[in-house]
Amino acid sequence: MVASLSQRLTDALGPDVAFTAPEDLAAYAYDAYAQERLPAAAVVPRDAREAALAVRIAAECGEPVVPRGAGSGLCGGAIPARGGVVLSMVRMNRVLELDVRNRRARVQPGLINADLSHAIMQHGVFYAPDPSSQKISTIGGNVGTNAGGPHCLSYGTTTNHVLGVEFIDGAGVIHRTSLDDPGYDLTGLLVGSEGTLGVVTAVDVRLLALPESVRVCVAAFGDVDAASEAVSAIIGAGIVPTALELMDRTITRAVEAHYHAGFPVDAGAVLLIEIAGAHDDSAASEAALRRIASAHGALSWRSATEPAERDALWQARKGAAGALGRIAPNYYIQDACVPRTKLPAVMREIDRIAARHELIVGNVFHAGDGNLHPLLLYDRRDERTVRAVVDAGTEILATCIDMGGTISGEHGIGYEKREQLSLIFDAHDLAAMERVRDVFDPRRLFNPDKIFPTGATCGEVRAAPSAA
Amino acid sequence: MTTTASSPRVLAPADANEVAATLRACANDGAAIVAQGGGTLQSIGNAPTRCDVMLSLERVRGFAEYDPRDLTAGIFAGTPLAEVARTLREFGQQLPFDAPLAARATIGGTIAAGWAGPRRGRYGRPRDLLIGTTVALADGTLAHAGGMVVKNVTGYDMSKAYAGSLGTLAIIVRANVKAVPRPAALRLAVAPIPPDVSDRAIAGIGTLAIEPSAALAIDGFTQAAPLAHATRRLVVFFEGSEALVERATRELRSVLGAAGVAETQLADGDAADRIFAGVIDAYVDANDRSLTYRSTGLPSTAWARAQAATALGAPFGLAGETIADLRTGDVIVRASARRAARFAEVVAGYDATVRRTIERTTVLAGAPALRAAIDAWGAVPSTIDAMRRLKTHFDPANVLAPGRYVGGI
Repeated sequence: MVASLSQRLTDALGPDVAFTAPEDLAAYAYDAYAQERLPAAAVVPRDAREAALAVRIAAECGEPVVPRGAGSGLCGGAIPARGGVVLSMVRMNRVLELDVRNRRARVQPGLINADLSHAIMQHGVFYAPDPSSQKISTIGGNVGTNAGGPHCLSYGTTTNHVLGVEFIDGAGVIHRTSLDDPGYDLTGLLVGSEGTLGVVTAVDVRLLALPESVRVCVAAFGDVDAASEAVSAIIGAGIVPTALELMDRTITRAVEAHYHAGFPVDAGAVLLIEIAGAHDDSAASEAALRRIASAHGALSWRSATEPAERDALWQARKGAAGALGRIAPNYYIQDACVPRTKLPAVMREIDRIAARHELIVGNVFHAGDGNLHPLLLYDRRDERTVRAVVDAGTEILATCIDMGGTISGEHGIGYEKREQLSLIFDAHDLAAMERVRDVFDPRRLFNPDKIFPTGATCGEVRAAPSAA
Repeated sequence: MTTTASSPRVLAPADANEVAATLRACANDGAAIVAQGGGTLQSIGNAPTRCDVMLSLERVRGFAEYDPRDLTAGIFAGTPLAEVARTLREFGQQLPFDAPLAARATIGGTIAAGWAGPRRGRYGRPRDLLIGTTVALADGTLAHAGGMVVKNVTGYDMSKAYAGSLGTLAIIVRANVKAVPRPAALRLAVAPIPPDVSDRAIAGIGTLAIEPSAALAIDGFTQAAPLAHATRRLVVFFEGSEALVERATRELRSVLGAAGVAETQLADGDAADRIFAGVIDAYVDANDRSLTYRSTGLPSTAWARAQAATALGAPFGLAGETIADLRTGDVIVRASARRAARFAEVVAGYDATVRRTIERTTVLAGAPALRAAIDAWGAVPSTIDAMRRLKTHFDPANVLAPGRYVGGI
């Protein structure tokens, strides 16, 4: 008789690395999305060799492998949708090499994003992508979703900061990619593939020099409309601050009640603007931004230059979603991206959609990138609000697509949006992606039921507006 | 569709659909296709083993979409980069690809060739500014990837696969890019570095508090950023506000002065752009007596690799010229012989020596006869099997630039 997957993993890796008891597996059944399913086993490897062994055993058993970072993903990317093995990378959390002179580091995938920048700050360098989840989310998870964050406006997203990866393929073999190598850009394909192409076991990241001067400014506006117009005007003027975030009144009030960071709670909306660079430029940059804000009806302007004051504002901004617990028991956060000129129109439409469904919506998002995060507040116990949230979420995505946008700016497609992927891409587009998947994982054992619409291969895919 | 009679056949389809139709027709005939933009980087990679059709993208040109207020543009592949630059410049924007021969080089060709210029340390590579593509696949279908937004995690980032694939996976017909605001001030500093103080001067560049957009140590290539009586010179490019550029210049002069470099010549604005473009052009400036390699690696080793490369040519009777990119780590090495026939005799031995001594060297330009004698790519990466499978899945009949790519792909 053939040994079971669980038995083989335990035999090969030991009970400290392979977990099979239901009470242990419960922790790996879910992420920050609403669904869950128990895996057959969970493996928490200490190194790439153990991870590769787990992949090999799973492949021999024909069972799925679901890589997992912190489980903070919002789209169900880490849910073992078809059971199998969850491969949790949290024990592999070290900085392996730091090369300050060449501004690069090799890190393990389970390293927490914020821990990386803390560890290297003393050397005058930092890692730019900073998702709001950075205190818990891992570099490996960030690679999986090509994570963004407020500072991606001027620095770019995760894919712009990954120079190479070490990964395990579908046969359990370890490979290494580098942007310095000739040949196809496998690094670029692996970043943002949401664990469907392989398991990343090390990441070569690009580091940046800490800026000389940092100012964080808060501009208050009468309403979201005025703030959105100001954002469009700033980008339209060719000014790209390091961060340009919008928070509406629902958010600032929840955040202030919790963090007391000093956001004006009477304003309809505030912009949080960061200017980083050389001392010589900061005053002039701030003046230029302030002029545009004033021209678009800014009611007040405050500038924080002291580190403690800046950190307080950022901490409040990044904790915004959590602070909503004061207003409603549950929230559903949507993630979409539109061209920056469409921001005012799309924000007005989101307001109308929420009103139509009698929902409270909070907006806190990366306005400078056109990356929206409407948070729809609801109560899980109230069926009406649950239905309304689902419908409103779908309408918001449709609105963003109509305006030339897309259905995920930084959270990924995961389990949640896979059927909606065909609103963006037609059968040919998706077939090209499937060819890539055939290269890395022909048996579809890595994170099955993610990204791709279930009907993608059955000719049910709807055509999307063509870009050419 | 227009056809120009020659061998191979040159086809110049008028738009994306015609490109796709051409590929479909070629697929039916089993004809091998090599895509061509401005033809400025055709020297990258090996000569294709078959080329029945040269597919020119010259008519697939112009802006498909450009709202300057979005800082993004959708541009057809055959648009020359100089034309892109002119249009963006009207709105105070730029696309800092730093490609050679920008008057002819096209946006699609530059992306497909995987070109990555000196200012990538500041702006990213072309692949980093690429937010979407439309490609024609070998089976004659069109496929889209990405979009017109600056953040996008919607399925695989397919544009990354097409960028740098040299037309072996698909043919890019449209590229959507992030435009970058053009800074208020541009300044190019050129300083001679006497051999006895070179190491100190170059080490000084690494200590600058204001990072230059580009910093190159050039040995030879005397047409590039020319300086009377100096074959070895530093070229440092600063971009930013007037105040920042002024401070950067003072700092540079102080650092170089301390290292024993007396004079630093400056050029601003368009003049800075023009001189810098001349330096970039030198990367692919070749003749029938020369061969140019690019080595990629750590910035900290660039100068040492350049020095080593110069020395390698001497036993073969070859003169060496180098550009060491102190910010990105690239090293450009041009070896020249006095006579073409002489180089042909030693090219195999010289090539073997270069590959053995200097990491990750690929051929960038050179006389076709010399390039034909060696492999352009050198050692294959460890992921070559995955790359071969990628090629097979996209081009099962092996008709897209067969043999041009790494490992004979």
